[in-house]
Order: sequence, then structure tokens, then C-alpha cells
Amino acid sequence: MTSIELPAEHIQRIERDGDVVAARQTGRRIAAEMGFGRPEQALIATAISELARNIVSYAERGSITFRAEDHAGRRGLRIVAEDRGPGIPDLAQAMSDGFSTGNSLGLGLPGTQRIMDEFDIRSIPGEGVTVTVAKWISR
Amino acid sequence: MAVRVPILRQGRTLIASFQDDLSDSDILSLQGRVLEDVIRHRATGVIFDVSALDVLDSFGTRTLSDIAAAVQLRGARMAIVGIQPEVAFSMVLLGLTLSDVPTALDLETGLALLARAVP
Amino acid sequence: MDDIIASSTGGHGQPGDGTADQLRWFDITDTDRRRAEALAETAGDVADEIIEAFYAHLLSFEDARRHFRTDAQIERVKRAQQTYFRELLSAPLDAGYVENRRRIGRIHERAGVTPTLYVGAYAYYLHSLGHLVMDRRGQDPQAVPLLLSLIKIAHFDMAQALETYVEAREATIEQREREMSELPTPVLQLRDGLLLIPVVGTLDSYRARSLTVKLLEGIRDHRAKAVVLDITGVAAVDSAVANHLIQTMTAARLMGATSVLTGLSADVAQALVKIGVTGETLRTAGDLQHGIEIAERLLDG
Ligand SMILES: Nc1ncnc2c1ncn2[C@@H]1O[C@H](COP(=O)(O)OP(=O)(O)OP(=O)(O)O)[C@@H](O)[C@H]1O
Ligand SMILES: [Mg+2]
Repeated sequence: MTSIELPAEHIQRIERDGDVVAARQTGRRIAAEMGFGRPEQALIATAISELARNIVSYAERGSITFRAEDHAGRRGLRIVAEDRGPGIPDLAQAMSDGFSTGNSLGLGLPGTQRIMDEFDIRSIPGEGVTVTVAKWISR
Repeated sequence: MAVRVPILRQGRTLIASFQDDLSDSDILSLQGRVLEDVIRHRATGVIFDVSALDVLDSFGTRTLSDIAAAVQLRGARMAIVGIQPEVAFSMVLLGLTLSDVPTALDLETGLALLARAVP
Repeated sequence: MDDIIASSTGGHGQPGDGTADQLRWFDITDTDRRRAEALAETAGDVADEIIEAFYAHLLSFEDARRHFRTDAQIERVKRAQQTYFRELLSAPLDAGYVENRRRIGRIHERAGVTPTLYVGAYAYYLHSLGHLVMDRRGQDPQAVPLLLSLIKIAHFDMAQALETYVEAREATIEQREREMSELPTPVLQLRDGLLLIPVVGTLDSYRARSLTVKLLEGIRDHRAKAVVLDITGVAAVDSAVANHLIQTMTAARLMGATSVLTGLSADVAQALVKIGVTGETLRTAGDLQHGIEIAERLLDG
């Protein structure tokens, strides 16, 4: 694997519908450059799509940050989706399959947890949501 | 707004080919157009060719199911064709099964599928 | 305490963790350390001699000699050995020390130095130091306590090296298991549009994912419409494995291919029922032959 110069961090603002597409394309590009296989690229792009859409749907605006990481030879991509929207009052409920206040499938958050290697969600009601996910390149 | 998903007609089947990465509003605008076209052309089948898509997430999947249900209410059948391997892989892990819509490998098999379903 | 007892199984990647606990376990106190340090100067003088003698001893063994190719190499390891020896007596026994000892242990492990050689070398040093102490301080009432301190420290040191051996072995085993779980799953084309996938071995979530990807790519590459998934050779099918299988078959369906699951034992059928699978959502057949017949009918129908 050749090492490619990646910007340490890339931030994508999420405000509109089109930003969701832009964010997942950026994520996929970074993942491909880092050497993730095609199935992993698709998983990463899907996760970004879910997180970005939640921002647009429930918080109106926020950002997605991409960070290429390298820990003792283990390379991965960390993605942080942040907003200062209304927040989530009951995280356990939001994380359960099928729960949706948006009349949707309610699979975005629990599904994202399934497809990523690491998943962390924090929210202070009234102050927004931060979801941090990561995927590691399997050796 | 530019039409990002052209709807073609082949006999009484409509074919909507998704060109590339679609935004949610593109998909939503497609919903209305497809339903109008089904009525206008008295279509018996609708095929969504998604082979160019590299992500099909919860919103996209739900909207496709919604469209399929509405198409069926208008007396036509719908099939989704061309879901790529890595897209199918992500969908199942996410929990999206699309169980209410018939699927086929590509356009050709999709057309055959609909032809068999409609006498 | 857990740290000490579990360190060889759970302590990957955290050498030096719990050094204080370890020292307590070996009952090594500041007094022990001070005694050893006091010996350091004297031992430093004779380190050369002890190490020369050690290598003479070592090189008289065919097995050990194999490790050395040139005299220059022998000189180099002797110098390194002197540092190692001095540190044994005077270096602070802290996390840095432990890490360094483990690093050296790993190098030896990789070079093929056996635990017997390793432990034998410690025995030799202890023996030499014992003689040194008795020769020079035989009359000193502190001589025996000093020897006991040395024995504790040497054992502590040995433990560090042996831990790395165990870790290395485990890593090798893990690697091998991983390779096993990556055993390529063959995707066989039985005829136009019909694939057979014999799944063999264990089906953890890692392997289940690669199986799914393999199957989906197979469907695309062969333009398959039906897939027979034979699980006769799957070691244990619990509900997790059953879930993986369902996911794989669902993904195949998304691509437009129908799957037939064959080779289910009664237990497996039970597991599937438990997770809510019914005959309608899943096509199954008792044996492979029957499964293939069902798939062929699907193709022709
Ligand atoms: N960024 C956010 N701010 C506020 N609430 C959120 C946010 N993200 C998710 N939620 C809440 O958590 C619920 C579950 O989110 P999830 O993404 O799992 O499902 P969904 O968006 O409702 O449906 P789907 O993602 O399947 O289309 C949402 O319905 C919403 O109430
Ligand atoms: Mg969502």
C-alpha cells in the first residue's frame, strides 16, 4: 500500500440536501485513497449518508469531519457528525431498530452502528448531537 | 430544475435509469413524475434501474418502496434492477431488505420478470 | 493482581502496565534494588569476564552456535549482553525497563532462541553472580540476603522475556486462525445462472461478511439467478450464524437471485425457527441434491 498524503482533517458543512451527497462522495473518495476495499467504501458512504441526512432532517445544519487515522500501523477513517440542533432526549430509544420521529424506517442510527467498527453517540437535549464513527482497514 | 432521472418507455413498461448519486429531492421529484407517467401511458410495469448507484440508504430505500406501493395502487408492477454487490451488502447490514419490491439482476431480466407477472 | 495473572492472555499491546503490581508479586522492594545496585560496581568490573565465560559456554553447544554466523556478530551480541547484564543490577525497574526487556525478548523469540536457552542464560548469570558474591563478600552477613534479592530480580526479568514468548505464540495462533477463517469460499457455477457455495468451517461475523461479498460478486460475475448455499460443512450453527446466513440470502435477493439453503441439521432448522424464519421467507432443502433440483426448477420456471 503506497502512503498517500491525506489532509489530516476535512470538514464538510451540512445544510442542504445536496450536502448529503457531497459528504458521502467525499467520504468514499477518502476511503478509496486510504486503501479501503469497495465493500468498505460502500459501508462508509452509507453511514455518512445516514448521519448527514439526520442532520438535515432533524437539526437543519451541522458538519461532518473526516479524519484519517494511523495507530500503530492500524489505519482507519474517523467520521464525526455534529450539530447544534434540538438533540435526542432518549438515546436508547433512538438507537433501537424502527424508532423514528420522522415517519421513516428508524434504521439510520442502529444500522450505522452495525456497519461501522466503532460507534459513539452523545447528545445533550437542546444542545445538539455528536455521532463519532470509525472504520479500520482490515489487514 | 434539471431532470436527473430520465424516464424511458418500452411498450407499456416505463424505465427510470438513475444516472449517478442522487439527492433526496431528486428521488422525491421522480416519485411524482413516475406516477403521472404510469397513468398517462397506461403503463403495466415500471423498472427502476439503479445499477449506477453506489449507495442506497434508508431514505432511498424507503422512497423506492413507497413508489412501488403507489405504482401498484395504479395497477402496474414495479421492479428494481441492478443493485450492485457492495450496495446490496451495505443494505442488508443496515437492515434494509426491500422485501415488498421484486428485484432482478439487470434490465433484461427485470423486463422478463415483469412480462411473466403480467398476463 | 488480575494484571499479573492474566497478563499473558489479556495484556497484548500494553507492556509495562501494572509494573508496580508485578514488582509486588515478585516481592521486590527498594531494599532489594539497593542491594543489587551496591553490587553493580563490582559486577561491572567482572562483567566482561562473566560474559566471556558465558559465551564460551554457550558456543560449546551446537544448537546455540547456529545462531551466530560471524565473529563480528558475536562481538556485537556480547556488547549488548554487557548492557543487559548491567541493567539487570542497576536499571530502575519501571515501565520503561519492562518495555525494553520485552522488546529484547521479542527479538530473541523471533531469532529462534528457545525458552530453555533463555532461562539457562539467566541461570548461568545467577550462578556467576553467586560465585562473585561469595568470593568477595563471603564473610559479610549481607551476602545471603543480597543473593536472594538477585534471584528475585532475575526471575522478574525472566518473566518479562517469557511473557513475550507467550504473546508471540498467541499472535501466531491468532494469525493462523484468521487465515483459517479466511479460507477461500469457493463459488461454483453448476450451470448457466446457477451457483453452488459449499460453506465449510466456522462462520463468525467476519467470515460471514466476506462470504456475502463473495457470493454477491459471484452473482454479478456469473449473472446468476439462483444460488444453492450448502452448510453441511459448517461447524456450529447458532442463532448468530443463522442470522448471517439470512443476511447473505437477503443480499442475494436484492441482486435478483433466489437462494436455497441445504444441509440443515435438525438443530439448525430449530435455530432458524427461533429467529423467526419460516419456510416462506427461506427456501430450504434437506440435502444438496434436492436443493439443486429446487434451484433448477426456479431457473426453468
Ligand atoms: N441529529 C439529530 N438531531 C435530533 N434528533 C435526531 C438526530 N438524529 C436522529 N435523531 C432522532 O433519532 C431518531 C432515529 O434516527 P434514525 O436515523 O435511526 O431513524 P430515522 O432518521 O427516523 O429513519 P431512517 O434513518 O431509517 O430514515 C430520529 O427519528 C430522530 O428522532
Ligand atoms: Mg435517519
